[in-house]
Amino acid sequence: MSKNRVSRRQFLSYTIMGVGGFMASGTIMPMLRFAVDPVLQKSGEGDFTATPQRVDELTETPVRVDYTIVDRQDGWYKSDESYSAWVYKSGDRIVALSPVCKHLGCTVNWGGDKNHPDQFFCPCHAGRYEKNGKHVPGTPPIGPLDEYLVMEKDGYLYLGGTRPNTLV
Amino acid sequence: MNWNSQDMDTYFQQKDYIDTLLVPLLKLETVPEALKGSSSATEFLMHLSNFIETQFRGRMMVLPPFTYTQSTNLQEMGNVLSKDLQLMDFKHIFYLTTDRAWTDVDIEGEMIWLPSIPLESMDQQLRKTVIEDQLRQVLPLLTNKWTE
Repeated sequence: MSKNRVSRRQFLSYTIMGVGGFMASGTIMPMLRFAVDPVLQKSGEGDFTATPQRVDELTETPVRVDYTIVDRQDGWYKSDESYSAWVYKSGDRIVALSPVCKHLGCTVNWGGDKNHPDQFFCPCHAGRYEKNGKHVPGTPPIGPLDEYLVMEKDGYLYLGGTRPNTLV
Repeated sequence: MNWNSQDMDTYFQQKDYIDTLLVPLLKLETVPEALKGSSSATEFLMHLSNFIETQFRGRMMVLPPFTYTQSTNLQEMGNVLSKDLQLMDFKHIFYLTTDRAWTDVDIEGEMIWLPSIPLESMDQQLRKTVIEDQLRQVLPLLTNKWTE
């Protein structure tokens, strides 16, 4: 017992180390957490949104699918945002194209131009796109329509984010 | 496009393509018994102008609404707007309102009057359909002017 006596000096240094360590962990742990956090965050499936469109009802003809992302929080402004997509089947593949014209961002329509019923049409400056989203040369758009990521779940179509057109 | 600085930058770059101005005219009534109807009409007008903005943002600048109260002299207000909005470089000016009184006012540009529809009791989908129907009424007015 007497051999293991803690000297006054040792006691003081243990105490300081203990308290110092505790305080240091308080600052370092959150920093580590911030550094590692993005790695731990899940991504992918959660970003898909359900649409009211049944997959087995899709055909070769593009139909407009409207869907809503509920409770989107943008700063202090909370809202349900509505989106649209032009969806059709190409063989076994489901193609969902963004309706946003690549020229200046108007909304395009399928068959909106009487003279070109098999194309997408932008009413603003008569821009046209082929069915796969390829822009028709000589009309204002400078690139093909964006494509949505698609997923099927319980027979319904789910749409994710957009990516550059892969069909053209 | 909207009246914000980001869209304004795009406007300056693409001035040749954006030749139309849409001006919502909004009547704000302050008599207690008219508040409900006035706010409902506001909702309708704002939804509609937002929807038109999304459809035609590449060709149209949508202004924030010009708001007035029931005692405003519309002809005077119209004169001021006609004079000042001309200073901007737009080929077509459209006014959008649910206030019938504007149809008697002499103003530079096209006046589009639509009766207000109470949207508050409708669900999202129905609301969208109603707004789209309204747009279909407006569409020929726009495209006819554009193709003139």
